[in-house]
Amino acid sequence: MQIEFEYKPGNAIAKVKLSAGQTITAEGGAMVAMSPNMDIETTTRQRKGGSLFSSVKRLLASESFFFNHFTARDGDAEIFLGTSLPGDMTTLAVTGKKIFVQGGSYVASSQDVQFETVWRGAKNLISGESLFWIELSGQGEAIINAFGVIYSFDVDGDYIVDTGHIVAYEEGLDYTITKAGESWVSSFLGGEGFVCKFSGRGKVWCQSHSSSSFGQQLSPHLRAIKTS
Amino acid sequence: MSNKEFQFEIVAAPDYAFLDVNIPADKTIKVEASSMATMDTNIEMKTKFKGGLSRLLTGESIFINEFTAKNGSGKIGIAPSTPGDLKHIYLDGTETIYLQNSAFLASSMTINVESKWQGLARGFFSGEGLFLIRCTGTGDLFFNSFGAIIELNVTDGYVVDTGNIVGFTSGLDYEIGTVGGMKSLFFSGEGLVAKFRGNGKLWIQTKKVRPLVWWANPFRPKKG
Repeated sequence: MQIEFEYKPGNAIAKVKLSAGQTITAEGGAMVAMSPNMDIETTTRQRKGGSLFSSVKRLLASESFFFNHFTARDGDAEIFLGTSLPGDMTTLAVTGKKIFVQGGSYVASSQDVQFETVWRGAKNLISGESLFWIELSGQGEAIINAFGVIYSFDVDGDYIVDTGHIVAYEEGLDYTITKAGESWVSSFLGGEGFVCKFSGRGKVWCQSHSSSSFGQQLSPHLRAIKTS
Repeated sequence: MSNKEFQFEIVAAPDYAFLDVNIPADKTIKVEASSMATMDTNIEMKTKFKGGLSRLLTGESIFINEFTAKNGSGKIGIAPSTPGDLKHIYLDGTETIYLQNSAFLASSMTINVESKWQGLARGFFSGEGLFLIRCTGTGDLFFNSFGAIIELNVTDGYVVDTGNIVGFTSGLDYEIGTVGGMKSLFFSGEGLVAKFRGNGKLWIQTKKVRPLVWWANPFRPKKG
């Protein structure tokens, strides 16, 4: 399997080349175009294992409930995978260490990467960010997307990231939800609200823009929903 | 493709492509309605009812404006309505290009721009409008997209999400279908696809308008 990106970072799209018999699993709706010699199977979960419960969790994670498994039928095949918001895409090398990807940022993964939905509980509920993460493990590659540009850095010790800007992080790190300023009052007046405080050692992937901040900018200009 | 009638420059592609055209004295260019951003004062605009009544049904503008440079040449800046890419093709009189309804941006006067009924099965079920725009003749054609444009040389068929089609040459034909079986039809999230056959060029865009709208929907304010 060979993954190439075009038009990074503003309008990134992934072109994946598969040899005969190879499979890539993508979130529902990600397919833009493909060669005709591709077999598609739609399942509610990963092909191998995974329970219905994990599918329901994914539904709540605002990710598509369904996955499509694209397999090259005979000879080489190619598929373009895209995302709904303008922004960047990148690959994650999954090499044994677990990687946690924010709910909406998962696009696709190769066949030997396992993924599971992880509930992050009340600490995410109060921050208003995604309640679920996709936990990637196994061996292979995964494709993630972001709103804006993706950048990554290594954390050794403590580091603070605004909750709306996290895309993924590696095993070895853990985080707590906390306030950005000295007091809760200054945090909220400063517009920062909740932030993630990472500690440990590992890589963090961030996005340059927060889609929820953008959505809130649009909000007053959108037609109201009538709730009579 | 190196041939061209107008001197032009495409800037800031593929994210925010914008078109600058130099119109020679007494020459005229056709531009999609409301796409003119800037122009010299010696350029005159005429609004023409173009593309037939059918474009009225498509929700697209049925007017194409004609810009003529008087008393010497003039410059016009043309901005597509969506942030994205822009392509120039020189039609040599033998080729026909079909464009998705909103993809037409500008052309030489010698290019015929008309709506082409797709038939109910192909148009209605594709969800992308009942009409395509058919461009024939000899001269410059400019079209635009939402997101970047990818050019594919199709020889062995290709499957494209209907929302990602920008245009294609007449050597290709398509039918609307589904990916996979019945389960995929309802649950794959891929909706309907166009299955292209034949030989020709196919232009697809990296983004679709509708998923962006779905994304924005939860941000709509509530009115009690």
